Amino acid sequence: MLMEITGPPKAPPVTAERPSPLRRVLRGAPPYLYLAPGLALLVIWTYRPLTQTAELSFHSWNLLPTTPMVPVGFANYERLLDLPDLGQATLRTLVVILGLLPFSVLIPVVVGLLSRQVRGRGKAVYQAMVFAPMLVAPVASAAVWRWLLDPGGGAVNRVLGIDLNWLYETGSAQFSIIVITGWHILGFAVLVVSAGLAGISGDYGDAASLDGASRWQITRWITLPLLSPTLVFLTLMTVLLSAQWTFPLIDTLTQGGPADSTTNVYYLLWDYSFHSYDAGLGAAAGMLLFAGFGIIAAGLVWLAERLSFHDN
Amino acid sequence: MDDRTDTVGGAARWRTIRGHAVLAVLGLLCVFPIYWLYATSLRRPEDVYELSPLPWPLSTQSFTDAAAKIDVVGLLANTTLVALLTALGQLLTGLLAAYAFAAWRFRFQRLLYLAFVGTWLVPFQVTMLPNYVLLFQMGLLNTLAGVIIPTLCSGLAVLMLRQHMESFPKELLEAARMDGRSSWTTLWTVVVPNLRPALAALAILLFVNGWNEYFWPAMVLQRSNDVLQLGLRSFMGTEGNDWGPLMALAGLACLPVFLLYLVLQRHIVNGFVRSGLK
Repeated sequence: MLMEITGPPKAPPVTAERPSPLRRVLRGAPPYLYLAPGLALLVIWTYRPLTQTAELSFHSWNLLPTTPMVPVGFANYERLLDLPDLGQATLRTLVVILGLLPFSVLIPVVVGLLSRQVRGRGKAVYQAMVFAPMLVAPVASAAVWRWLLDPGGGAVNRVLGIDLNWLYETGSAQFSIIVITGWHILGFAVLVVSAGLAGISGDYGDAASLDGASRWQITRWITLPLLSPTLVFLTLMTVLLSAQWTFPLIDTLTQGGPADSTTNVYYLLWDYSFHSYDAGLGAAAGMLLFAGFGIIAAGLVWLAERLSFHDN
Repeated sequence: MDDRTDTVGGAARWRTIRGHAVLAVLGLLCVFPIYWLYATSLRRPEDVYELSPLPWPLSTQSFTDAAAKIDVVGLLANTTLVALLTALGQLLTGLLAAYAFAAWRFRFQRLLYLAFVGTWLVPFQVTMLPNYVLLFQMGLLNTLAGVIIPTLCSGLAVLMLRQHMESFPKELLEAARMDGRSSWTTLWTVVVPNLRPALAALAILLFVNGWNEYFWPAMVLQRSNDVLQLGLRSFMGTEGNDWGPLMALAGLACLPVFLLYLVLQRHIVNGFVRSGLK
């Protein structure tokens, strides 16, 4: 088994009777030993590659083991910022995020509010149905949607009575990807919102309604603010993961096309490294992406701490 | 007075009906593509383009056709193996790490915890290239071991198990220590039996994730397509418009997860909602 040494175990800062140094080290060791397997895997498969990618981003390399990596300084980053690709891909990623927010936040909240009265077995059955798409493997989903959206015999076109080649026209390809991804995550978001609503005590609403508040006022000024941690969480997830969620669908359905209309930042990265064999450029794009998402995540977490109303 | 309670009761009933209607419509919309997938796979080959909602007469011809073109049993076995080993490995490393975080106070605890949780912020696409090179050097490209080994630690598992262990009564751990049990024995005789429901829910979640994983197998198994997701993808490439067999294979690729879902619905849903990540 490969093991990475995780640094010398540290003794606990305060000890009662000052045993010998060796015994103190041994006593402090257990937590580090329990952490060792997981930590070793993290170092080897996450943090080592992360630093290597950082290093690679300052080199030029074509992925062939026989050719050496050539240091090029900031050239990859300059090239990246000069090329129009990255800006356009970022814009498309934003479009996807905005397009997914209705599925991950808006519809679940509306549905959650409208169906609060439904309880018991009925609710469990509906939730089971809504949640099912989350479990469909991305490639299977790609297969069934290609069949549904097939321009000739697909059910969608024949029911709508139109003749649109959904996945192969620049206008509708991105839209299709968004809807398919939305279909995957909708059930999950509905369940999260429903759990959030169930956690809100009915007392506040009852008190407000005694004071003459209307149902809408209660929703707007009591329920939604109390639900805000859930909403921030769902937004954060959409921002951070939407490009990940769409990736397998793009890879199997459109390959970033037609005319790059579905190429988001992750797909661009993949394309640079494994189709154009420009590892340095791919690494530079990866580092920018990592930094960008890190900043956005930190910002949203900060916002969540400041804006959330806590039900204490 | 009577009048008023009547309208209030009426409004409440109306809201309940509206709730049922909203959820039913949404549920049907969500389930329809899945239904259509299985409906198409069960039609006779000459009926594939039918729009009738019920596939009748039933036929398993599509499944036979798919099985003739691709080694379905082998793919199922490989995928089961990968998903099982991945889930067990993630459960084990997660359990040990979560135990360390919950039962001790030690130096760099926060930092190390952040190292586990922070994996969430490192996108797969940023680490894929160096990992690909390392697997190449280890000779593990195009092997199932190459798919499994890099995924054996999951930040999600650590996060969720730690939450469960934090709520675990400390007195029990203390009592076990007083009995003179080692921390290792305590973990397996006190902590694990008490965490069984949480461990089961997490195991199912990790299994489903492993089953549906796409990126990493796609990189490692570029030549062999040995797991279902990849077999399905290559089938889509070669037999793309042969809808019957394609739907049959896609249906098979989802079937084990759906069967698990039918039996363990509540656990799976709870696992996903609590994890909130995938």
